[in-house]
Amino acid sequence: MHIPDGFVPPSICIAGYAITGGVTWYSLQQIKKDSNPQKKIPRASLFTAAFFVASLIHIPLPPASIHLVLNGMMGAILGYYSFLAILIGLFFQTVMFQHGGLSTLGINAVIMGIPALFAYHIFHFNNRSNTRKKIWTQVLAFCAGAGSLILSATLFTVIIITNITSELDAQTEINAIYLSLISYVIQAIIEGAFTVMLISFLEQVKPEILRQ
Amino acid sequence: MTNRHKLNYLASFLLFASLGFSRQVLAHGANIVYQQTPAIEVKATYDDGKPMSNAQVVIYAPDNPAIPWLKGKTNEEGKFSFIPQSNISGNWDIKIRQSGHGDIISIPWQTENVASTVESRDNMPNSSNWLASANNNYNPIQKVVMAATGVWGFIGTALFFSRQKSS
Repeated sequence: MHIPDGFVPPSICIAGYAITGGVTWYSLQQIKKDSNPQKKIPRASLFTAAFFVASLIHIPLPPASIHLVLNGMMGAILGYYSFLAILIGLFFQTVMFQHGGLSTLGINAVIMGIPALFAYHIFHFNNRSNTRKKIWTQVLAFCAGAGSLILSATLFTVIIITNITSELDAQTEINAIYLSLISYVIQAIIEGAFTVMLISFLEQVKPEILRQ
Repeated sequence: MTNRHKLNYLASFLLFASLGFSRQVLAHGANIVYQQTPAIEVKATYDDGKPMSNAQVVIYAPDNPAIPWLKGKTNEEGKFSFIPQSNISGNWDIKIRQSGHGDIISIPWQTENVASTVESRDNMPNSSNWLASANNNYNPIQKVVMAATGVWGFIGTALFFSRQKSS
């Protein structure tokens, strides 16, 4: 899901950086509203490490293989820190392993970071009290994990399809992209289940992490 | 008509027939020549090592990087071969793409080095030695060490911000 250098026109790269800059500013404004903004930094740093490593771990899913993105899980647990964590994780993935590109860092952050904020709002829907039923928490955790990945895949697909250059056989490329959507659906289910497991574990051992 | 006249007619007919159909007769022959020329072979794989089979390949010549010089598709092994135009030196850019994934590699090509390239290829131990990679082709151990250093950096950040403040 990482767009490499040279695959989208410069206007998309600049727009990606502009949107990322705006969302980063907004996230920092929201973080500043916390009574102790530094309190969640250790947690955000550890999840950034998980996001950074997840792209290197390939899960075989015949006929291809997938790697977890974990943006939905990060959004549900980190809130507005998740966008910054994903941006930093993407930067290190780019410079160390060439996953994505520096010119497309902004648009990749949009593709994976904004769905994380969506996951945050989904998961914390009606979460202001401690009266939420356990099954309801698990359903929202699954929706956050799976829905975030589906949204990322949709953004990726739309950006790629609308920017196929004329030298490529557009129909062949579109067919290949539609075929890859099947694996994204399976990946979304896996990420949703993974998010449910982690949220259920945290509910047992440290429930205060999951409260706003 | 005497026998001599008959022979003259026959000789004339055979002469005209041989002249008239000479090209057609020669066209039945075949002539195969060969020359040894260096080609570039690229191989595209996903991160997990799976070949990018039937991926689209677009090649740009050094003298015109805006217009594709050649288009094609990789084979089942993710390989694609082409012979660069011998009189164009510079960087040949090769874009390989499939379902939004792929990469671009820039291959330097010097016409005066063509002969030496052939010689050096003969000395190569096997044809699977790839000269360069679009993204640094780290081996698994290098990747693990790099990932570990990155993770340690994040853990260090977490430890720094979670330290107990001295009173």
